[in-house]
Amino acid sequence: MTKIGGWTGKVLRIDLSTGRISTEDTIEKYKDYLGGTGIGYKVIWDEVPTGTMPFDPTNKIIFGVGPLAGTGAPCNGRTAVTTLWPTCWPKPLVASGHMGGQFAAELKYAGYDATIIEGKADHPVWLSIEDGQVGIRDARHLWGQGIRRTTVEISQEIGAEAAVAAIGQAGENLIPMSVVMNSFSHSAGGVGAVLGSKNLKAIGVRGTGSVRISGNKEEWEKLVKFHLSLLGANNQHVVPNTPQPWAEYYNTSSRWIASRGRRWEASSPAIETGTCEPHRLNRISYRTNNAAFYLGDGAWKYTVRGNGCTGCPIRCHTMIKVPQTAAKYGIPEVGQNTCGGLNFGRAFFKTFPDGPRGETAIEACMVGMHLADDLGIWCNYGQLQRDFIKLYYGGMIKKKLDEKEFKSYSWDKYEKGDPSFLFQLLPRIAFKEGELGTALGLGTGYMLEQWGIPEQEWTKDYNLLYWKMGHPKHHSNEDAGQCGVIINTQYNRDAQCHSHSNFTRNGLPIGVQKRLAAEIWGSPDAIDAVSAYSLMNIHKAKMAKWSLLRKELHDSLSLCNWMGPWVASPLKERGYRGDDSIESLLYSLATGDKKNHQELDQVAERIFLLHRALTIRDMGTKEMRTQHDTIPEWVFKDVSGKTPFTKGTIHMDKEDIEMAMDIYYEVMGWDKKTGAPSAATYHNFGLGKAAEELSKRGLLP
Amino acid sequence: MRQHEVFGLAIARIIREKSEAGQLTEHEDILAQLIGQSLLKSEDGNQRPHFEALLRETVEKNEDLKEISGRDGISHYYSAQSLSEPYARILIQKKENPLSLMAEIVRENSAIYPRPVPLDIFMESPFDLTQQEILDCLKKMAGQKEFRDIAQTATSIGTIFLYSTQHLEPDYASSLAEWLDVGQLNNP
Repeated sequence: MTKIGGWTGKVLRIDLSTGRISTEDTIEKYKDYLGGTGIGYKVIWDEVPTGTMPFDPTNKIIFGVGPLAGTGAPCNGRTAVTTLWPTCWPKPLVASGHMGGQFAAELKYAGYDATIIEGKADHPVWLSIEDGQVGIRDARHLWGQGIRRTTVEISQEIGAEAAVAAIGQAGENLIPMSVVMNSFSHSAGGVGAVLGSKNLKAIGVRGTGSVRISGNKEEWEKLVKFHLSLLGANNQHVVPNTPQPWAEYYNTSSRWIASRGRRWEASSPAIETGTCEPHRLNRISYRTNNAAFYLGDGAWKYTVRGNGCTGCPIRCHTMIKVPQTAAKYGIPEVGQNTCGGLNFGRAFFKTFPDGPRGETAIEACMVGMHLADDLGIWCNYGQLQRDFIKLYYGGMIKKKLDEKEFKSYSWDKYEKGDPSFLFQLLPRIAFKEGELGTALGLGTGYMLEQWGIPEQEWTKDYNLLYWKMGHPKHHSNEDAGQCGVIINTQYNRDAQCHSHSNFTRNGLPIGVQKRLAAEIWGSPDAIDAVSAYSLMNIHKAKMAKWSLLRKELHDSLSLCNWMGPWVASPLKERGYRGDDSIESLLYSLATGDKKNHQELDQVAERIFLLHRALTIRDMGTKEMRTQHDTIPEWVFKDVSGKTPFTKGTIHMDKEDIEMAMDIYYEVMGWDKKTGAPSAATYHNFGLGKAAEELSKRGLLP
Repeated sequence: MRQHEVFGLAIARIIREKSEAGQLTEHEDILAQLIGQSLLKSEDGNQRPHFEALLRETVEKNEDLKEISGRDGISHYYSAQSLSEPYARILIQKKENPLSLMAEIVRENSAIYPRPVPLDIFMESPFDLTQQEILDCLKKMAGQKEFRDIAQTATSIGTIFLYSTQHLEPDYASSLAEWLDVGQLNNP
């Protein structure tokens, strides 16, 4: 190998119990796991004993970034935060949260590929990382403060360019439904309380170094430009949402919503997005406006600009300025976020006086962002809000709360869709106040347990989108039939996999999608049109495997799986092909470790296998098929009575799904009966020691 | 440079510039612009055959330049470098008959994606119809045999979608409309 690039070569380890700060050699210890979730799983496997609970000092939390973080590779801003998951029910297991922003790059520029946090400080502290200078600092003055103020105070100490990942009051109060957040709006959900349990308020990072690119610089620049040319809009939607002069296709559901006449009107002067012809790479940032995507055309007048992560031109965190919110609710008039974060407040309400995309809905978004992103509350991919709606309209809140607490909420405001209701609800979650606030902060699984509601009540209700283990589905059968179902069985939280949905939702006609699918997964039958599903076949299983491995690959390289993979593109001259090897090309040039896409996918498979091994070890059973890879009842029932494989239903057939799991396990080289990987599979991927340990515990098939 | 080369460059430039602005160029527009640029004389009727020949030659020589004509047979030109064929078709149909345009768009979406389309897409560029115009079109369509395949479905939040029964079954169209209008936003 030529001189290594990409990685900084050092992993930082902080023991908060002893105050010991040390470093380890990334290449020596972690190169086979790349970075990100790879390093995270490795540390948990090696160092966190079975039976450890999330808030035990012996639990560890790993902020892992990858060799592409901080380089010029597009969409390289992701930090994977891996730990034992507090909302994983009925038993905490390993999982990871993913935040964008500037933290990943700043950590690299400071000289580190990951930060491993262990132990527990005896008083509130924050961690200061300024290039080679690392210190554990007193945070007693910050404890009790929100994320915003904490970020500002730390930035004042170490510089405005610092990236500060902080928890809010929710994390301090050990609310499982809490986040760590950096760069104003970029959060990793579910892990705030793990930091709180360690008395760690924040990590402030400032780096002035750079990331070395091992390969030829001109080749690197050419490759980056090529990758940029393959980008679509947010979620890799590769066609615009209305007919554009240059476009052959369009899709009304696309997040590519730029068009002549559409303007960021709250910018001064207002900025027109233009038509954003795909070859004009310096217009990529104008394609996406997630405020307008979710809230309709009314959001354009409030749009200031797009914001986002290091190295990413997509800018999916749309900044909006809604002046009336200052006077009406006493909150800042500017906010920014994307998807779940943007809709955090709005999603609690069933109705608004002026409709789902009216002014009140926009105000609810503003209030929700202001509160949740400061208190540090997690939405669990919208499950928090869906649970709340179900509990209220199902009469369970009234039943569970004593009269005094029930009356302390203005339910009339709630039913009318008044965003000020959120001021009553969200702080009580963050401060664990009352029966309702406490229950909602636990996460779905533990909340149901505490309130004596059988999980089956949730798994049978399609509207709740609940999947298993306290978490919802995340792009399952509604996006990719059996492939989506398989993917959603595999993790210990919501799957967070977009490899498949970014393809099926890319907006191209089904004929084009099938042509591309044939090239990638061996047959056009790997995919179906939405709600027109056909029987399971091996190509769907291959797509599921590919999707999962690319997710782990992205999470380990610091590429954004909310954007990638890039196997479709907006380029007509390429037949709308992307490039299945873009990750390996970037990896090889950046690091100097030359790997083709099959070889890099094998590394991803090692990482994914280690996640599987960890899950098996900590569950204490090899019976994954029946005890872990479960599928909620709603997947198999259509409220209108349509049978599976008829057009117009996303519902699946039980026997077909059993076959789907059989084929998937076979494709993975896992035992079909138990769903557990065999010893040979572990050995094939360099995980012989894991196999030995599992064997000792009787956890191999 | 020879005179016909100058003409050729000027014609190509006129077409390309209009295409970049998202517009088709009519045959007569090109002629008027050449006269405006003093490349042709307005009073010289003998130059028209010469212009026709040059225009044909320019379009043949430049791969990106395309000709499209509507039912009236009038030729329009565009550059495929910045204007796609489907977009050019929309522009032609828009001029001629909004009813046919709407129907063609609905049929095409139903056939190739497949999906129904929300009514309000016709308020967007390049359709640029008002809500009233759209409703008027729908009323007119309802009474005409050639549009009897164009059907409507409403989602749970009241958005109207159109689809073609030639390509989508009513049940399927309704479920797709619900997915596009409500489902996708609830599953971001």
